Amino acid sequence: MDLIYLRMRNRVHVQKNQQVRLKDVAKFIGDDEQVKKIEEEVLLTVTHEDKNIIIIDLVQVIEAIQAIDQSIEIQTFGPSQTIIEVIYEKQKVSFLAFTAVWLLLFLGAGMTIMNFHVDVSMGEVHQKLFTLITGREDRKPLLIQIPYSFGLGIGMILFFNHFFKKRFNEEPSPLEVEMFNYQQDLDQYVIMNENKESNRHLDNR
Amino acid sequence: MKIRKVIVILITGKVVFGLFIGLASGFAVGAGFVAFVTVLGVIPRLTQLTKTMQFIHYYEAAIIAGVVIGTWLGLQEVKLFWTKWLLVPIGLADGIFNGMLAAALTEVLNVFPILAKRMGIQEKVIYLMMALVLGKIIGSLFQWIYYVDL
Repeated sequence: MDLIYLRMRNRVHVQKNQQVRLKDVAKFIGDDEQVKKIEEEVLLTVTHEDKNIIIIDLVQVIEAIQAIDQSIEIQTFGPSQTIIEVIYEKQKVSFLAFTAVWLLLFLGAGMTIMNFHVDVSMGEVHQKLFTLITGREDRKPLLIQIPYSFGLGIGMILFFNHFFKKRFNEEPSPLEVEMFNYQQDLDQYVIMNENKESNRHLDNR
Repeated sequence: MKIRKVIVILITGKVVFGLFIGLASGFAVGAGFVAFVTVLGVIPRLTQLTKTMQFIHYYEAAIIAGVVIGTWLGLQEVKLFWTKWLLVPIGLADGIFNGMLAAALTEVLNVFPILAKRMGIQEKVIYLMMALVLGKIIGSLFQWIYYVDL
């Protein structure tokens, strides 16, 4: 009896009409000859009905291996399913849409900060601070307000750990962590909902 | 004699009641402020950037000292007669702190991940962020230099 270790991959990108072999969805370790035979086994061919996400569950891989040789013993570790993402044509980013979103964010950010300043009477506080420090009065204390405005931008960049393309250290920025978390949530959702092995409806038999 | 005693009791009662109301509202506002700063995680972010985790208690003290001194000076009519150039670093620090709060707020609301995913521009998210940053700077400058005169 041969022992084979297998680890499912997390995420695989394929193209339309491509054949997905067992070696694409998992990594196998064991007897060389046997591993080679298993790895080349075609699991499925991507068709148009598959839309853009296919979930391969561990049990499907085990089934395929047992179809080759009943006597193989399988040890698994790692994730228990692989997400296959079908990439149709490389999605082209529309420059117009990007510009529109950019302008939306730019104007929106500018307007919200102005509203915020009025809401918390920032101007009055600055005037009072000017009087507190210098003992004089100034209706437009630009000496505070111009550094303040640039500080706003510096603070945001500091928080996200980016200076345009340059970064201050190796750690991922909160934004990257946030993107990662969001992707994980999406993956969790498709694993539960697109996986034929995890949902079964017995109520309308 | 008796009336005088009653008046004294009434006045002390009024003072004690006033003290109590002041203390209670201070508690509520202070707790709210700390909760806000904690949720947004600006202080952990700063310690992470500067690698000074061990001084986190001093940073707490700085926040508390800043709030107490700021409250006191804000409520009094103090005039210090210092040089006006001191205002430049104060303004800059004020802006950086506010900017970090604003950035943290955007992050809590999950705006960028969703926007980037929808538009399929994972790598260009940085440009969208720069839109927000420039928008804040220019909006703020516009308000202080031009808009207040309208």
